[in-house]
Amino acid sequence: MTGGDWLVIVPLLCAALAGVVWVAAAPGGTRVVVTSGGQTCFTAPLDQPRSVDIEGPLGPTHLVIDEQGVRITGSPCPRKICLSMGPARHTGDLIACVPNRILVRIESSGGEEAPYDLLSR
Amino acid sequence: MSWNRPLMIVLLAAVLALTWWRLQPADDEIRRSQLLMGTVVEIMAGGRPAGQLEDAVDAAFAEMARLDLLFSSYRPDSEVSRLSQSTNGGTVSAETAAVIALGLEVARRSGGAFDLTLGRLKSIWGLEQEHPAVPDRQAVTDALAGIGPNALSLDGRQLGKREPQLQIDLGGIAKGYAVDRAIAVLREQGVASAAVNAGGDMYLLGQRPERPWRIGIQHPRMKDAVLETVEVRDRAVVTSGDYERFFEQDGQRYHHIFDPQSGFPARGCQSVTVITDSVALGDALATALFVLGPQEGLRLLDQYPGTEALIVAADGSLHASAGWTKYPVSP
Repeated sequence: MTGGDWLVIVPLLCAALAGVVWVAAAPGGTRVVVTSGGQTCFTAPLDQPRSVDIEGPLGPTHLVIDEQGVRITGSPCPRKICLSMGPARHTGDLIACVPNRILVRIESSGGEEAPYDLLSR
Repeated sequence: MSWNRPLMIVLLAAVLALTWWRLQPADDEIRRSQLLMGTVVEIMAGGRPAGQLEDAVDAAFAEMARLDLLFSSYRPDSEVSRLSQSTNGGTVSAETAAVIALGLEVARRSGGAFDLTLGRLKSIWGLEQEHPAVPDRQAVTDALAGIGPNALSLDGRQLGKREPQLQIDLGGIAKGYAVDRAIAVLREQGVASAAVNAGGDMYLLGQRPERPWRIGIQHPRMKDAVLETVEVRDRAVVTSGDYERFFEQDGQRYHHIFDPQSGFPARGCQSVTVITDSVALGDALATALFVLGPQEGLRLLDQYPGTEALIVAADGSLHASAGWTKYPVSP
Protein backbone atom coordinates (compact mmCIF):
# COMPACT_ATOMS: atom_id res chain seq x y z
CA MET A 1 0.00 0.00 0.00
CA THR A 2 1.35 3.41 -0.93
CA GLY A 3 1.42 6.58 1.11
CA GLY A 4 -1.32 7.95 -1.17
CA ASP A 5 -3.58 5.04 -0.23
CA TRP A 6 -3.19 5.89 3.44
CA LEU A 7 -4.06 9.49 2.66
CA VAL A 8 -7.44 8.25 1.42
CA ILE A 9 -8.08 5.40 3.87
CA VAL A 10 -7.33 7.26 7.11
CA PRO A 11 -9.78 10.15 6.45
CA LEU A 12 -12.41 7.63 5.31
CA LEU A 13 -11.90 5.57 8.47
CA CYS A 14 -12.23 8.71 10.61
CA ALA A 15 -15.38 9.74 8.73
CA ALA A 16 -16.93 6.29 9.23
CA LEU A 17 -16.19 6.37 12.98
CA ALA A 18 -17.58 9.91 13.22
CA GLY A 19 -20.70 8.68 11.40
CA VAL A 20 -21.22 5.93 13.96
CA VAL A 21 -20.94 8.47 16.79
CA TRP A 22 -23.28 10.85 14.92
CA VAL A 23 -25.96 8.18 14.53
CA ALA A 24 -25.59 7.06 18.15
CA ALA A 25 -25.93 10.66 19.34
CA ALA A 26 -29.28 11.17 17.64
CA PRO A 27 -31.82 12.44 20.20
CA GLY A 28 -33.67 9.50 21.70
CA GLY A 29 -36.04 8.60 24.52
CA THR A 30 -39.04 10.52 25.80
CA ARG A 31 -38.73 14.26 26.14
CA VAL A 32 -40.67 17.19 27.52
CA VAL A 33 -41.07 19.95 24.94
CA VAL A 34 -42.37 23.35 26.04
CA THR A 35 -43.46 26.18 23.77
CA SER A 36 -44.24 29.73 24.81
CA GLY A 37 -46.10 31.92 22.36
CA GLY A 38 -45.64 29.30 19.67
CA GLN A 39 -41.83 29.07 20.03
CA THR A 40 -40.05 26.08 21.55
CA CYS A 41 -38.31 27.43 24.64
CA PHE A 42 -37.37 24.35 26.68
CA THR A 43 -36.80 20.63 26.19
CA ALA A 44 -35.60 18.03 28.68
CA PRO A 45 -35.62 14.26 29.13
CA LEU A 46 -38.69 13.03 30.97
CA ASP A 47 -36.64 10.67 33.13
CA GLN A 48 -34.47 13.36 34.72
CA PRO A 49 -36.22 15.11 37.66
CA ARG A 50 -36.02 18.88 37.67
CA SER A 51 -38.12 22.01 37.94
CA VAL A 52 -38.11 25.03 35.68
CA ASP A 53 -39.83 28.39 35.26
CA ILE A 54 -41.10 29.17 31.76
CA GLU A 55 -41.74 32.82 31.06
CA GLY A 56 -45.08 33.68 29.46
CA PRO A 57 -46.84 36.99 28.86
CA LEU A 58 -48.40 36.90 32.36
CA GLY A 59 -45.21 35.82 34.15
CA PRO A 60 -43.45 32.56 35.01
CA THR A 61 -45.22 29.20 34.79
CA HIS A 62 -43.53 26.65 37.07
CA LEU A 63 -43.06 23.09 35.77
CA VAL A 64 -41.93 20.04 37.70
CA ILE A 65 -40.59 16.86 36.08
CA ASP A 66 -40.53 13.86 38.40
CA GLU A 67 -41.47 10.21 38.52
CA GLN A 68 -45.16 11.07 37.83
CA GLY A 69 -44.33 12.90 34.58
CA VAL A 70 -44.37 16.64 33.97
CA ARG A 71 -46.95 18.95 35.53
CA ILE A 72 -47.63 22.62 36.10
CA THR A 73 -47.29 23.50 39.79
CA GLY A 74 -47.36 27.29 39.65
CA SER A 75 -48.91 29.80 37.28
CA PRO A 76 -49.74 33.51 37.19
CA CYS A 77 -52.98 32.86 35.24
CA PRO A 78 -56.25 33.90 36.90
CA ARG A 79 -58.19 30.62 36.99
CA LYS A 80 -55.32 28.17 37.64
CA ILE A 81 -57.02 25.53 35.47
CA CYS A 82 -53.59 24.36 34.33
CA LEU A 83 -52.69 23.38 37.92
CA SER A 84 -55.54 20.89 38.00
CA MET A 85 -54.71 19.22 34.67
CA GLY A 86 -52.52 16.62 36.33
CA PRO A 87 -49.30 15.21 34.94
CA ALA A 88 -48.42 14.40 31.33
CA ARG A 89 -46.26 11.34 30.96
CA HIS A 90 -47.20 9.43 27.80
CA THR A 91 -46.03 10.32 24.31
CA GLY A 92 -48.52 12.77 22.87
CA ASP A 93 -49.86 13.95 26.24
CA LEU A 94 -50.40 17.67 26.30
CA ILE A 95 -50.99 20.15 29.11
CA ALA A 96 -51.34 23.87 28.67
CA CYS A 97 -51.84 27.21 30.31
CA VAL A 98 -53.99 28.96 27.71
CA PRO A 99 -53.90 32.47 29.30
CA ASN A 100 -50.10 32.36 29.65
CA ARG A 101 -49.64 30.83 26.16
CA ILE A 102 -47.61 27.86 27.50
CA LEU A 103 -47.87 24.40 25.89
CA VAL A 104 -46.17 21.33 27.37
CA ARG A 105 -45.98 18.14 25.32
CA ILE A 106 -44.39 14.72 25.68
CA GLU A 107 -42.53 13.65 22.56
CA SER A 108 -40.70 10.45 21.77
CA SER A 109 -38.29 9.55 19.01
CA GLY A 110 -39.39 5.93 18.87
CA GLY A 111 -39.00 2.85 20.98
CA GLU A 112 -41.81 2.16 23.42
CA GLU A 113 -45.27 2.68 21.91
CA ALA A 114 -47.61 4.98 23.82
CA PRO A 115 -50.83 3.37 25.12
CA TYR A 116 -52.91 5.83 23.07
CA ASP A 117 -52.40 8.46 20.36
CA LEU A 118 -54.60 11.18 21.87
CA LEU A 119 -56.49 11.75 25.09
CA SER A 120 -60.16 12.75 24.94
CA ARG A 121 -61.10 14.82 27.99
CA MET B 1 -5.47 -7.74 -6.33
CA SER B 2 -4.47 -5.28 -3.70
CA TRP B 3 -6.79 -5.16 -0.67
CA ASN B 4 -6.70 -1.40 -0.28
CA ARG B 5 -9.12 -0.59 -3.11
CA PRO B 6 -12.02 -2.71 -1.74
CA LEU B 7 -11.36 -1.27 1.74
CA MET B 8 -11.70 2.26 0.40
CA ILE B 9 -14.98 1.35 -1.29
CA VAL B 10 -16.35 -0.26 1.86
CA LEU B 11 -15.40 2.73 4.01
CA LEU B 12 -16.87 5.17 1.51
CA ALA B 13 -20.11 3.15 1.39
CA ALA B 14 -20.26 3.08 5.21
CA VAL B 15 -19.87 6.85 5.44
CA LEU B 16 -22.57 7.43 2.84
CA ALA B 17 -24.96 4.92 4.46
CA LEU B 18 -24.55 6.41 7.95
CA THR B 19 -25.04 9.94 6.60
CA TRP B 20 -28.18 8.91 4.71
CA TRP B 21 -29.61 7.09 7.75
CA ARG B 22 -28.97 10.01 10.10
CA LEU B 23 -30.57 12.54 7.76
CA GLN B 24 -33.79 10.55 7.28
CA PRO B 25 -36.78 12.17 8.98
CA ALA B 26 -37.95 10.15 12.01
CA ASP B 27 -41.28 9.49 10.28
CA ASP B 28 -43.59 11.07 7.76
CA GLU B 29 -45.94 12.45 10.41
CA ILE B 30 -46.11 15.97 11.78
CA ARG B 31 -47.72 17.13 14.99
CA ARG B 32 -48.42 20.80 15.72
CA SER B 33 -50.36 22.71 18.36
CA GLN B 34 -51.83 26.20 18.57
CA LEU B 35 -53.93 28.07 21.11
CA LEU B 36 -57.21 28.79 19.33
CA MET B 37 -60.87 29.20 20.36
CA GLY B 38 -59.82 29.41 24.01
CA THR B 39 -58.24 25.97 24.00
CA VAL B 40 -55.32 23.94 22.71
CA VAL B 41 -55.81 22.75 19.14
CA GLU B 42 -53.54 19.94 18.07
CA ILE B 43 -53.25 18.57 14.55
CA MET B 44 -51.42 15.39 13.59
CA ALA B 45 -51.09 14.46 9.94
CA GLY B 46 -49.19 11.78 8.09
CA GLY B 47 -48.85 9.77 4.93
CA ARG B 48 -47.59 12.58 2.68
CA PRO B 49 -44.26 14.37 2.22
CA ALA B 50 -43.54 16.65 5.18
CA GLY B 51 -43.74 19.84 3.11
CA GLN B 52 -47.23 19.02 1.87
CA LEU B 53 -48.33 18.10 5.38
CA GLU B 54 -47.04 21.44 6.73
CA ASP B 55 -49.01 23.36 4.09
CA ALA B 56 -52.17 21.34 4.78
CA VAL B 57 -51.91 21.83 8.55
CA ASP B 58 -51.31 25.58 8.08
CA ALA B 59 -54.50 25.74 6.01
CA ALA B 60 -56.46 23.78 8.63
CA PHE B 61 -55.32 26.09 11.44
CA ALA B 62 -56.17 29.12 9.30
CA GLU B 63 -59.68 27.77 8.74
CA MET B 64 -60.22 27.33 12.49
CA ALA B 65 -58.92 30.86 13.18
CA ARG B 66 -61.36 32.22 10.58
CA LEU B 67 -64.29 30.43 12.24
CA ASP B 68 -63.23 31.73 15.67
CA LEU B 69 -63.85 35.22 14.30
CA LEU B 70 -67.41 34.20 13.39
CA PHE B 71 -68.42 32.22 16.47
CA SER B 72 -66.58 33.71 19.44
CA SER B 73 -68.69 35.09 22.27
CA TYR B 74 -65.69 37.05 23.53
CA ARG B 75 -65.05 39.08 20.42
CA PRO B 76 -67.52 41.98 20.24
CA ASP B 77 -67.20 42.06 16.45
CA SER B 78 -68.04 38.37 15.92
CA GLU B 79 -71.25 37.42 14.16
CA VAL B 80 -72.51 35.67 17.29
CA SER B 81 -71.86 38.76 19.44
CA ARG B 82 -73.71 40.94 16.95
CA LEU B 83 -76.68 38.56 17.06
CA SER B 84 -76.72 38.66 20.84
CA GLN B 85 -76.70 42.45 20.80
CA SER B 86 -79.53 42.63 18.28
CA THR B 87 -83.14 42.91 19.42
CA ASN B 88 -84.69 40.40 17.06
CA GLY B 89 -81.87 38.61 15.19
CA GLY B 90 -80.87 39.18 11.58
CA THR B 91 -79.27 37.62 8.52
CA VAL B 92 -76.39 35.28 9.30
CA SER B 93 -73.65 33.65 7.24
CA ALA B 94 -74.28 30.23 5.76
CA GLU B 95 -71.86 28.67 8.25
CA THR B 96 -73.45 30.26 11.29
CA ALA B 97 -76.84 29.18 9.96
CA ALA B 98 -75.58 25.58 9.57
CA VAL B 99 -74.25 25.49 13.14
CA ILE B 100 -77.43 27.02 14.58
CA ALA B 101 -79.63 24.64 12.54
CA LEU B 102 -77.78 21.61 13.96
CA GLY B 103 -77.91 23.07 17.47
CA LEU B 104 -81.65 23.74 17.23
CA GLU B 105 -82.25 20.19 16.02
CA VAL B 106 -80.41 18.70 19.01
CA ALA B 107 -82.15 21.18 21.30
CA ARG B 108 -85.56 20.07 20.00
CA ARG B 109 -84.82 16.34 20.09
CA SER B 110 -83.33 16.57 23.59
CA GLY B 111 -86.33 18.48 24.93
CA GLY B 112 -84.17 21.52 25.64
CA ALA B 113 -81.33 19.71 27.43
CA PHE B 114 -79.04 21.29 24.85
CA ASP B 115 -79.59 25.03 24.49
CA LEU B 116 -77.98 27.70 22.30
CA THR B 117 -79.26 30.61 24.39
CA LEU B 118 -77.47 30.18 27.72
CA GLY B 119 -75.21 33.19 27.21
CA ARG B 120 -76.72 35.23 30.06
CA LEU B 121 -76.74 32.28 32.44
CA LYS B 122 -73.09 31.48 31.79
CA SER B 123 -72.23 35.13 32.22
CA ILE B 124 -73.72 35.41 35.72
CA TRP B 125 -71.95 32.24 36.89
CA GLY B 126 -68.65 33.68 35.67
CA LEU B 127 -66.95 30.35 35.12
CA GLU B 128 -64.65 31.91 32.53
CA GLN B 129 -63.74 34.73 34.87
CA GLU B 130 -61.28 35.10 37.71
CA HIS B 131 -63.79 34.82 40.55
CA PRO B 132 -66.73 32.57 39.66
CA ALA B 133 -69.49 32.42 42.27
CA VAL B 134 -72.96 30.94 42.77
CA PRO B 135 -75.44 33.63 41.67
CA ASP B 136 -78.62 34.34 43.62
CA ARG B 137 -81.81 32.53 42.60
CA GLN B 138 -83.50 35.60 41.17
CA ALA B 139 -80.55 36.28 38.89
CA VAL B 140 -80.73 32.66 37.66
CA THR B 141 -84.48 32.94 37.05
CA ASP B 142 -83.98 36.17 35.12
CA ALA B 143 -81.18 34.61 33.02
CA LEU B 144 -83.45 31.71 32.03
CA ALA B 145 -86.31 33.94 30.86
CA GLY B 146 -87.20 33.19 27.24
CA ILE B 147 -84.64 30.42 26.62
CA GLY B 148 -85.49 27.00 25.19
CA PRO B 149 -85.67 25.08 21.92
CA ASN B 150 -88.08 27.65 20.48
CA ALA B 151 -86.15 30.72 21.60
CA LEU B 152 -84.53 31.00 18.19
CA SER B 153 -86.04 30.46 14.77
CA LEU B 154 -84.15 29.95 11.55
CA ASP B 155 -85.56 30.45 8.07
CA GLY B 156 -82.75 29.93 5.58
CA ARG B 157 -80.17 32.43 6.77
CA GLN B 158 -82.67 34.59 8.64
CA LEU B 159 -82.37 34.14 12.39
CA GLY B 160 -85.13 35.30 14.70
CA LYS B 161 -84.87 35.87 18.47
CA ARG B 162 -88.01 35.43 20.55
CA GLU B 163 -86.74 37.79 23.25
CA PRO B 164 -84.35 40.70 22.69
CA GLN B 165 -82.29 39.91 25.81
CA LEU B 166 -81.36 36.39 24.63
CA GLN B 167 -77.60 35.89 24.49
CA ILE B 168 -76.54 33.30 21.92
CA ASP B 169 -73.74 30.98 23.01
CA LEU B 170 -72.39 28.48 20.49
CA GLY B 171 -69.71 27.24 22.88
CA GLY B 172 -71.27 23.79 23.01
CA ILE B 173 -71.06 23.20 19.27
CA ALA B 174 -68.87 25.76 17.45
CA LYS B 175 -65.55 24.22 18.44
CA GLY B 176 -66.75 20.91 17.06
CA TYR B 177 -67.83 22.52 13.80
CA ALA B 178 -64.40 24.13 13.49
CA VAL B 179 -62.74 20.72 13.92
CA ASP B 180 -65.00 19.30 11.21
CA ARG B 181 -64.00 22.11 8.87
CA ALA B 182 -60.31 21.63 9.63
CA ILE B 183 -60.68 17.96 8.69
CA ALA B 184 -62.45 18.97 5.47
CA VAL B 185 -59.53 21.27 4.60
CA LEU B 186 -57.02 18.48 5.27
CA ARG B 187 -59.02 16.15 3.03
CA GLU B 188 -59.10 18.78 0.26
CA GLN B 189 -55.31 18.95 0.50
CA GLY B 190 -55.03 15.21 -0.06
CA VAL B 191 -54.30 14.20 3.54
CA ALA B 192 -55.75 10.76 4.28
CA SER B 193 -54.46 10.25 7.84
CA ALA B 194 -54.93 13.02 10.41
CA ALA B 195 -56.28 13.90 13.82
CA VAL B 196 -57.62 17.29 14.86
CA ASN B 197 -58.08 17.68 18.60
CA ALA B 198 -59.53 20.88 20.08
CA GLY B 199 -59.43 20.51 23.85
CA GLY B 200 -60.63 16.91 23.74
CA ASP B 201 -63.13 17.33 20.89
CA MET B 202 -61.52 15.41 18.09
CA TYR B 203 -61.91 13.81 14.69
CA LEU B 204 -59.75 10.90 13.57
CA LEU B 205 -59.32 10.77 9.81
CA GLY B 206 -58.22 7.47 8.31
CA GLN B 207 -55.86 5.53 10.51
CA ARG B 208 -52.25 5.29 11.72
CA PRO B 209 -49.81 3.44 9.43
CA GLU B 210 -50.70 -0.06 10.66
CA ARG B 211 -53.69 0.27 12.97
CA PRO B 212 -56.69 2.47 13.77
CA TRP B 213 -56.33 5.61 15.90
CA ARG B 214 -56.12 4.74 19.58
CA ILE B 215 -57.84 7.26 21.87
CA GLY B 216 -57.63 7.32 25.66
CA ILE B 217 -60.73 8.53 27.50
CA GLN B 218 -59.94 10.56 30.60
CA HIS B 219 -61.07 9.07 33.90
CA PRO B 220 -63.33 11.71 35.45
CA ARG B 221 -62.01 11.32 38.99
CA MET B 222 -58.42 10.11 38.54
CA LYS B 223 -56.30 12.75 36.83
CA ASP B 224 -53.59 10.43 35.57
CA ALA B 225 -55.78 7.48 34.58
CA VAL B 226 -57.75 6.59 31.49
CA LEU B 227 -61.21 5.12 31.76
CA GLU B 228 -60.97 3.15 28.52
CA THR B 229 -58.99 3.19 25.32
CA VAL B 230 -60.92 3.00 22.06
CA GLU B 231 -59.85 2.35 18.47
CA VAL B 232 -61.53 4.37 15.73
CA ARG B 233 -61.10 5.48 12.15
CA ASP B 234 -63.08 8.24 10.40
CA ARG B 235 -65.01 9.05 13.57
CA ALA B 236 -65.49 11.96 15.94
CA VAL B 237 -64.76 11.41 19.63
CA VAL B 238 -66.02 14.01 22.11
CA THR B 239 -65.89 13.96 25.90
CA SER B 240 -67.63 16.36 28.28
CA GLY B 241 -66.91 16.14 31.98
CA ASP B 242 -67.57 17.99 35.21
CA TYR B 243 -63.81 18.07 35.91
CA GLU B 244 -62.91 20.33 32.98
CA ARG B 245 -63.91 23.71 34.36
CA PHE B 246 -65.32 24.07 37.84
CA PHE B 247 -65.04 25.91 41.13
CA GLU B 248 -65.90 24.89 44.66
CA GLN B 249 -68.00 26.87 47.09
CA ASP B 250 -69.13 25.71 50.54
CA GLY B 251 -67.79 22.23 49.77
CA GLN B 252 -69.83 21.86 46.59
CA ARG B 253 -68.41 21.53 43.07
CA TYR B 254 -69.98 23.80 40.44
CA HIS B 255 -68.97 22.94 36.89
CA HIS B 256 -69.59 24.43 33.45
CA ILE B 257 -72.32 22.16 31.99
CA PHE B 258 -75.63 23.77 32.93
CA ASP B 259 -79.07 22.26 33.11
CA PRO B 260 -81.25 24.76 31.22
CA GLN B 261 -84.24 23.84 33.41
CA SER B 262 -82.64 24.68 36.75
CA GLY B 263 -79.92 27.11 35.67
CA PHE B 264 -77.48 25.14 37.85
CA PRO B 265 -74.78 22.65 36.86
CA ALA B 266 -76.29 19.33 35.77
CA ARG B 267 -75.86 16.65 38.41
CA GLY B 268 -76.58 13.35 36.63
CA CYS B 269 -73.12 12.54 35.28
CA GLN B 270 -69.39 12.81 35.83
CA SER B 271 -68.52 12.49 32.14
CA VAL B 272 -69.97 11.59 28.76
CA THR B 273 -68.04 10.39 25.71
CA VAL B 274 -69.75 10.30 22.32
CA ILE B 275 -68.45 8.63 19.15
CA THR B 276 -70.25 9.76 16.00
CA ASP B 277 -69.88 11.10 12.44
CA SER B 278 -69.15 14.77 13.11
CA VAL B 279 -67.55 16.62 15.99
CA ALA B 280 -70.22 19.33 15.94
CA LEU B 281 -72.94 16.73 16.49
CA GLY B 282 -70.82 14.91 19.08
CA ASP B 283 -70.22 18.18 20.90
CA ALA B 284 -73.93 18.97 21.14
CA LEU B 285 -74.91 15.40 22.02
CA ALA B 286 -72.28 15.08 24.75
CA THR B 287 -73.73 18.15 26.46
CA ALA B 288 -77.32 16.97 25.99
CA LEU B 289 -76.56 13.50 27.38
CA PHE B 290 -74.71 14.99 30.34
CA VAL B 291 -77.75 17.11 31.21
CA LEU B 292 -80.27 14.30 30.65
CA GLY B 293 -78.33 11.71 32.66
CA PRO B 294 -77.65 8.05 31.75
CA GLN B 295 -81.16 6.65 31.19
CA GLU B 296 -82.76 9.53 29.28
CA GLY B 297 -79.46 10.23 27.55
CA LEU B 298 -79.18 6.75 26.10
CA ARG B 299 -82.81 6.98 24.95
CA LEU B 300 -81.94 10.17 23.05
CA LEU B 301 -79.17 8.27 21.25
CA ASP B 302 -81.79 5.97 19.71
CA GLN B 303 -82.59 8.92 17.41
CA TYR B 304 -79.00 8.97 16.13
CA PRO B 305 -78.14 5.65 14.44
CA GLY B 306 -74.43 4.93 14.37
CA THR B 307 -73.77 7.14 17.36
CA GLU B 308 -72.47 5.51 20.55
CA ALA B 309 -71.81 6.81 24.04
CA LEU B 310 -70.15 5.90 27.31
CA ILE B 311 -71.60 7.68 30.32
CA VAL B 312 -70.10 7.84 33.79
CA ALA B 313 -73.04 8.54 36.09
CA ALA B 314 -72.80 10.76 39.15
CA ASP B 315 -72.33 7.68 41.35
CA GLY B 316 -69.43 6.49 39.17
CA SER B 317 -71.34 3.67 37.46
CA LEU B 318 -70.72 3.11 33.75
CA HIS B 319 -73.53 3.15 31.17
CA ALA B 320 -72.73 2.34 27.55
CA SER B 321 -74.92 2.31 24.46
CA ALA B 322 -75.50 -1.05 22.80
CA GLY B 323 -72.93 -0.57 20.04
CA TRP B 324 -70.18 0.83 22.24
CA THR B 325 -68.57 -2.58 22.68
CA LYS B 326 -67.02 -2.47 19.20
CA TYR B 327 -64.68 0.38 20.17
CA PRO B 328 -62.70 -0.44 23.36
CA VAL B 329 -59.36 -2.20 23.07
CA SER B 330 -58.27 -4.70 25.67
CA PRO B 331 -55.95 -3.23 28.29
